[in-house]
Amino acid sequence: MLLNISTTRNDYNGFNDIARLADATKNLLIDSVELDFSECSFFEANMSAPLYTVISRLFDNLNDVSIINVAPGTQTILRKNCFLKIFGVESQNDNNQTTLPFKIFKMHAGGQFSEYLDRYMRGRGIPAMTGALRKRFMQSLFEIFQNAAIHSRSEHGIFVCGQFYPNKHRLNFTIADAGIGIRENVRNYTRSNMSSCQAIKWAMTEGNTTKTGGQPGGLGLKLIKDFVRINGGKLQIVSHYGFYEFSAENECLQRLSYVLPGTCVNIEINTNDTNTYDLGTGLTVQDIF
Amino acid sequence: MNNPVTIKIADLIGSSLCISAEDGQKVFEKIKPLIQEGRTVVVSFERVTMLISLFLNAAIGQLYGTFSEEEIRARVNVNGLADDDLEMLKRVVDNAKRYYANPKDYDAAWSQDKDNSDEPDEK
Repeated sequence: MLLNISTTRNDYNGFNDIARLADATKNLLIDSVELDFSECSFFEANMSAPLYTVISRLFDNLNDVSIINVAPGTQTILRKNCFLKIFGVESQNDNNQTTLPFKIFKMHAGGQFSEYLDRYMRGRGIPAMTGALRKRFMQSLFEIFQNAAIHSRSEHGIFVCGQFYPNKHRLNFTIADAGIGIRENVRNYTRSNMSSCQAIKWAMTEGNTTKTGGQPGGLGLKLIKDFVRINGGKLQIVSHYGFYEFSAENECLQRLSYVLPGTCVNIEINTNDTNTYDLGTGLTVQDIF
Repeated sequence: MNNPVTIKIADLIGSSLCISAEDGQKVFEKIKPLIQEGRTVVVSFERVTMLISLFLNAAIGQLYGTFSEEEIRARVNVNGLADDDLEMLKRVVDNAKRYYANPKDYDAAWSQDKDNSDEPDEK
């Protein structure tokens, strides 16, 4: 089967197009798939993670997957972020050091994920963020990563990658899994029949969690949203038919035309942010409990 | 007997990263019996370099499922937290109080609000 990859950016159309690939290949078993990039003039590096949710399912169904007709510019991007290594193409040195390479982590590899962030967030041209910004950003990434580890039930691990755009002062980081997705988790937990968009809305509500075992939760995504609002960044959550995007200016939920397997969270931050993130509440230890 | 017991989290979980629910659970299981014995506990975050709400939900938030606010206020103290982490702990504690006050209320409300319009299940 030959499938065209369109120009792909981290927006509704980009995710919808990857979902189209998932839909076209969902029943393939012990087959062969060529992903044809001849119509792709640009592929945003961090979209490698959601693309891999489709590819991992193809691999799981014992299909051969190859990539063809990748234009030199796109090839450079995907070699620098090590995505093409999956298909046997040698990685290229990231001389500008703007890439956080594509990597697959096992579900409970929080420590390794920390080492990855230490390595690629530090001293690689990744912005000289303020300490406060760096801390909030890292906390957000750990919250997302651990959410995937706990809720996704993915058998293929967690896929991550990131890209820094120095001229725009933006850093995108994407964490995806090919697990059961938000809708299924929320439906099971609430014994309801919510749509994908409604399920994402439910998951974004403070205090809502599908974690079982009588523990409170449901705060991580809310904290990330608060951070993104102050930072002037963007948060996207895509799962099944649901596409959610949040920024200080806009919040929207849209239905994709096809199902994107698993869950994908993309966080884009403004690296020029000089906020101290001190909310000035003057809290002391005595005020906590 | 009444001297506070200090739980050094970084030592207990063997890491400066407080990022997993399992490690949070480990901390909870150390705190819980001490409070039940009537001891006072100081939870020390010294040398912790990364802390997220997931960990705090399990380690601290969960205490509100077993003990009253008064007991926790009287028996639990924390130190070594930066101001912004204190803010996060406060959010975790407030969330836990709401959760244990009525854990299923919210879910029930959502269960009645069904809208699966034109969303076919995948075969």
